[in-house]
Parts: sequence; structure tokens; C-alpha cells
Amino acid sequence: MNESIRVEGLEKVFGNERAIDDITFSVGRGEIFGFLGPSGAGKTTTIKILTGQLRATGGKAEVLGIPAEKVNTPDVLGRIGVMTDTSGLYERLTVYENLAFYADLYGVSNKRKRIGDVLDAVNLGGEEKKKVSSLSKGMMQRTILARALLHEPELVFLDEPTGALDPVNAKHIHEGLKELNRNGTTIFLTTHNMQEAELLCDRVAFLNGGQVRLMDNPSVLRRQFADGTIVVELVSGKQVSLPNRPESARKLHDYMAAGQVASIQTNEPTLGDIFVDVTGRELA
Amino acid sequence: MTFSMQRMYAIFVKDLKELSKNTFVLTTIIMPVVLALFFGRGDAVPLEVHFLVFNTAFAAVAAYIQSVAIAEEKEKNTLRGLMMSPATTVEILTGKSIVSMGMTVLTIVLCIRLLGFETANWLLVGAGMAVSLVLFTAIGTLIGLLTRTLMEASVVITPFIFILGMGTIFAEMLQGNVILTVAEYLPNFQLEYLAAAVESGAATGEIAGHFALLLGWTAAVIAATALVYRKREMGSE
Repeated sequence: MNESIRVEGLEKVFGNERAIDDITFSVGRGEIFGFLGPSGAGKTTTIKILTGQLRATGGKAEVLGIPAEKVNTPDVLGRIGVMTDTSGLYERLTVYENLAFYADLYGVSNKRKRIGDVLDAVNLGGEEKKKVSSLSKGMMQRTILARALLHEPELVFLDEPTGALDPVNAKHIHEGLKELNRNGTTIFLTTHNMQEAELLCDRVAFLNGGQVRLMDNPSVLRRQFADGTIVVELVSGKQVSLPNRPESARKLHDYMAAGQVASIQTNEPTLGDIFVDVTGRELA
Repeated sequence: MTFSMQRMYAIFVKDLKELSKNTFVLTTIIMPVVLALFFGRGDAVPLEVHFLVFNTAFAAVAAYIQSVAIAEEKEKNTLRGLMMSPATTVEILTGKSIVSMGMTVLTIVLCIRLLGFETANWLLVGAGMAVSLVLFTAIGTLIGLLTRTLMEASVVITPFIFILGMGTIFAEMLQGNVILTVAEYLPNFQLEYLAAAVESGAATGEIAGHFALLLGWTAAVIAATALVYRKREMGSE
């Protein structure tokens, strides 16, 4: 089995509202898959279905080869890690006590060392004795992430993992996730941070109104949506747009021959631009 | 179905640590000890008073701790994380119940010493108390499942503490009233009547009747708890 997640025609209806409407995708083993969309697009609902917290009203979903509705068993839950926007910590306990509790639930061996390792990975080394009630929101989020990674899961679901973090700590988390992925962990990530998606994801899916509107590798999408125009900044400060046509090559040659070129940039769209193009909606 | 002692023990230890740092809960559970200290100063403490204190301990410790331990997990969104771990519902509820029951047993033992309670048959009275312990823990679980916050659970459980804990104190005032006729079927009355029957050397049939009612209450509350849990699970709030 080369797929960690397989979803076919998945649907979830709450009353009259269709939160997820016939979505189909798969996530390969060892892949980082980004599920992108604005608030209310259906990202968290999808994670809840895939982690057995919600029942779908239609379609099929499999996680690690097991139907999503049967994921809620100790064996399967021991192979996955989940960090959602509603995850909480025991505020009267310390960071270490919180993680030690989960290490015991997951049967993590060499608990003390493993806790030290995950805290280092989320840039919380040395903070283990702090009471959770005294942590900042960002530190809490990093502790929850550490908890999701504690048992070295095969597959992790991360719902907006860097939402409350400053750029320095977000960078730390990104490095930690890349390292985790290099060790073979599949990562299913929801975010509306396009830079994060471009940096981390092997593939992304754009979700809007409960439907997947587009899905591919970020570089492929950028090329696909690029108009081929290059922007030349001249030494004089003037910017010239050259469309993808034979006469543009001659113009560029002339500028270069005359020593007038200061910089050349392709006019590739960002993932955010593509999302707006496809859905007509802003991401934030 | 799997059951892991290690996971159950981890939940027990975690709850015990949390509880020991929760001053709000600790102030409530000393209520029966204060009552025992107050009544224990008298020369001859009547049976009704002994069981008023014991029933208060069941309601204010077993039911209360269990309800707030579950409700607070929901309030702080930690129950979701727990449910997404390999811990099963049975392990979670068992781990929590051991804390509530353990604290109750300690409180009851302390109250027995403070009140100087003695009985002609510890086995029968102890068995009745054990059934009450399970019943009140189940009541706490049910309230914990039905409420969303520690504060809400604390408010909802208050009438239970008064009716099922201290209700027997009003028996004298309600003599001849239809309310008492109905109230006499409540588990706190049944436990007291069971102890009184044991002391008076009543027939086995009468003692068995009180036992049967206590067991019936316990079965009904456990069934209601299982039903509510299933509904909540399906709804996945």
C-alpha cells in the first residue's frame, strides 16, 4: 500500500449545510500534503472525518488502509498523530507532565529522552518545568505539536500548526516537520498560509465551499498559471514587461547588449494568487 | 476490546495530580469531613446522622469529583486529545473512577473514625456502601457527560448533593407527607434503611429488598450513562 490516505466522493452534511461536497484525493506515503482553504472551507471537517471524530454522510475514506470510521482503535490511533485547532493541554500540569502523560498512553520507550528531543524540535528545550497555564499561546501550540509527534507517528494531521507563531518559531516548526518527513512520516497539513504550503508541501489541494477546486505540486501549479511574462528592471529603474513572444527575446537581447539590465524576474503567480484566480475568494 | 493497565494507570496518575492542584474541588470535598467533625463531637451519634455524613461523602466526593473531572476535560478541550490517543473510553472512565472512588473511600474512612461509627455487620453495610459508591460515581459520570464546564457541573450537582446526600435529614419534617413516601425509594434512604435493618436484626428479605433497590438505581444510572455516552459519540460535538 503506497497511500496513507485515500478519499473518494466524500460528503458531510450538517442540517441543510453541505460542509464537504464530493471530494476525492489521495496522499502518498511519505508525502507532505497541504489542504488549503479559507475558514469554513471544510478543512477541519475533513480532518475530523479522517481521524474518526466525525462520520461522513457519503463517500469513502481510508487512513493507513483502514476505513476512517474504524480508525478509533488503540492500534490505529497509536500510528497517527493529530494536532487540531481545538486540542488542549492540562493547564495545572507542567509541559513535561503533559508530555509524559501522553508518552505513557502511547507506550513511548525512553520517555525522558524522547520528550527532550521533541521539545528541542519545537524550540521548547529547557521549558519542560513550566506550568502550562504560564505559557504563551505560541508556546502552547508548540507543546501541542510536540505531543502530536511524541510517538513518532506514521501519519500526522496538523490543523494550522503555525497559526499562532511568530516567524522565528514558525521556521523552527517547519524545519522540525521537514526532518520528521525525511524520516518517513506522512504529513497532512491544513493551512491558509500560502508561503508555508509552498515551503513544505509536495502537493496541495485548494478547498473552497467544501469542494476541491485544484490539486497538484505547487511548482507545477505556478507554471501552469504563469502567463510567461518576464519583468526586466533596467539600470534606470524603469520596469519593462516582456510577454512570451519571439520579439521579446530580441528586446531582452538588446537591453543586455546595451548593459541596461539590472534584474530579470519571471511573473509566476503565488499560490495565493492562484487560489483567488480559481475560487474568486481571498484565503485569509 | 483491548484494555491496557498502563494507560488506565497513566490516566489515574494524571487525574490525581490535577486534582491535588485544584483548590476549587478540594474545598468542596472537605464538606463531609467538616460535617463528621461537627457531629462527631456528640456523645451518641444516631444512625441517621452517620448516614447523612456518608451519603454526603458519596455525593460531594464520588459524584462531584467524577463530574468535574469529565466536564473540565471537555471545557479545556483535553478530552478530544485523549479520545484521539490509544486510550479507550473504558480505560479513561476507569482511570477517572478510581480517583473518585479512592478519594471517597479515604473520606468515608476518615468520617467513620471521626464519628466513631460501628455496625453489627460490616460485611452487609460495607456491601451497601460499595454499591452506593458505584452508583454515585456513575451519577458523576452522567453529569460530567451532560455538562460542558467545571462550573456548569458544579451547579448541576448541587441539588444532587442536597437531595441524595443530605436528603435524609428532612425525613422527620416530612413525616406523613407523600413526598417522603416517594423519597424513601431514593438510594440514600435505602442505604440508611439497610443499615438500620442490619442493626435491628431484621429478616434477610427486608435487607435484600434494600439491596435490590440500591442495585436497581445503580443499573439504571449506568444504563443512562451508557446511552448518553453513545449519543454524544455519534453526535461528535
